[in-house]
Amino acid sequence: MSDEHDELRARLRAADPASSLARPDPDRVARLLEDTMSHTETQESRAHGTRQRSPLTWLVAAAAVVIIAGVGVFAVMNRDTGTPSAGPEQSPTTSGDSVTELQAPGAGATTGRCLPPSADVLAGADVAFDGTVEGIRGDLVTLQTTRWYAGEPTDLVTVKGPSEDLQALLAAVDFQDGGRYLVAASDSGKVMVCGFSAAHTQRLERLYGRAFGQ
Amino acid sequence: MSTDEREADRRARFEVIARELIDPLRHYLARRTDHATADDVLSDTLLVCWRRLDDVPDNALPWAYGVARNCLANAQRGERRRLRLAAKITVVAPPERATPSPSARDDELLEAMAALRPEDAELLRLWAWEQLAPAEIATVLQVSANAASIRLHRAREKLRDELRKVQQVSGHEQSREGRGS
Repeated sequence: MSDEHDELRARLRAADPASSLARPDPDRVARLLEDTMSHTETQESRAHGTRQRSPLTWLVAAAAVVIIAGVGVFAVMNRDTGTPSAGPEQSPTTSGDSVTELQAPGAGATTGRCLPPSADVLAGADVAFDGTVEGIRGDLVTLQTTRWYAGEPTDLVTVKGPSEDLQALLAAVDFQDGGRYLVAASDSGKVMVCGFSAAHTQRLERLYGRAFGQ
Repeated sequence: MSTDEREADRRARFEVIARELIDPLRHYLARRTDHATADDVLSDTLLVCWRRLDDVPDNALPWAYGVARNCLANAQRGERRRLRLAAKITVVAPPERATPSPSARDDELLEAMAALRPEDAELLRLWAWEQLAPAEIATVLQVSANAASIRLHRAREKLRDELRKVQQVSGHEQSREGRGS
């Protein structure tokens, strides 16, 4: 039995594509180690407020800057066309983070009366996730996602919209920089308000769990 | 111990661990992705090891393979999205993969491995290429040692079955060729 295993293992090993990989250059290894250690040291020597952040945060922040610049150009170029095209869109960024783009609902949606949020209605959402706000700048909120309930998972989600709509959404959902939120959006990529998208609470998390069978 | 001393201690510990890990991790990544992605993912993996130095177990390698596995999955997820978008605009050359030279290629084995479920093929790679024991494979895949052991046993059986099938097919072809000539 063991001979049979040895034979199979040897045959697999003979097909190892990395068998001829050269030894790493010691200088490169030293540089790699130094880069790795200095990466975090930069974070740790910073002010207290940033020391909990992972190096990835900086990548995310860089990605956010790129998105904001892109949206700025987009907004200028499309001033006449009004609302950007509907539907949650996914796009990559230069840092490789994938992004789902959502929109703020129209101002009317955030000021009307609401029924208490129910799992049945929430289950109809095409996008639903748990995430932390990474930045609020101008007409764009960027969230880093930690858990997906519905929709194709991406690393980041941005919510954008005409300024007054976003302001209304900010007021309705109360997005705060660094806060954790549960957010749902309909098939047109518009964020659901009325208590469906809100700051994370155990209760809301249970509702999401029930709605999406998780 | 002062903060500086602690920091120096931490650096020294990381250097010892990382030097042990780099070569096996390079091999692990070279077997699974293209050169550029392997370099990026190696940096990401070391960064996670550095940040989570206190979590690194005594037998660091299987744990580090698990970290590399996650980092690679993240990189490939981003890459797939990028390629999907790029493919709409232009035809993108597939990433070059590390493959053995054609003369040394065991085509029957490659075919049999390709016929397996990806999870089974990965178990066999971890067993044969990374030379891990079932308990170590369990650490990489974050499953119980018992589950890894059972799955490995089944994966080996499936590979043997597939090899038999492939050999039967090539045997038929050879006998047909023999009759035809």
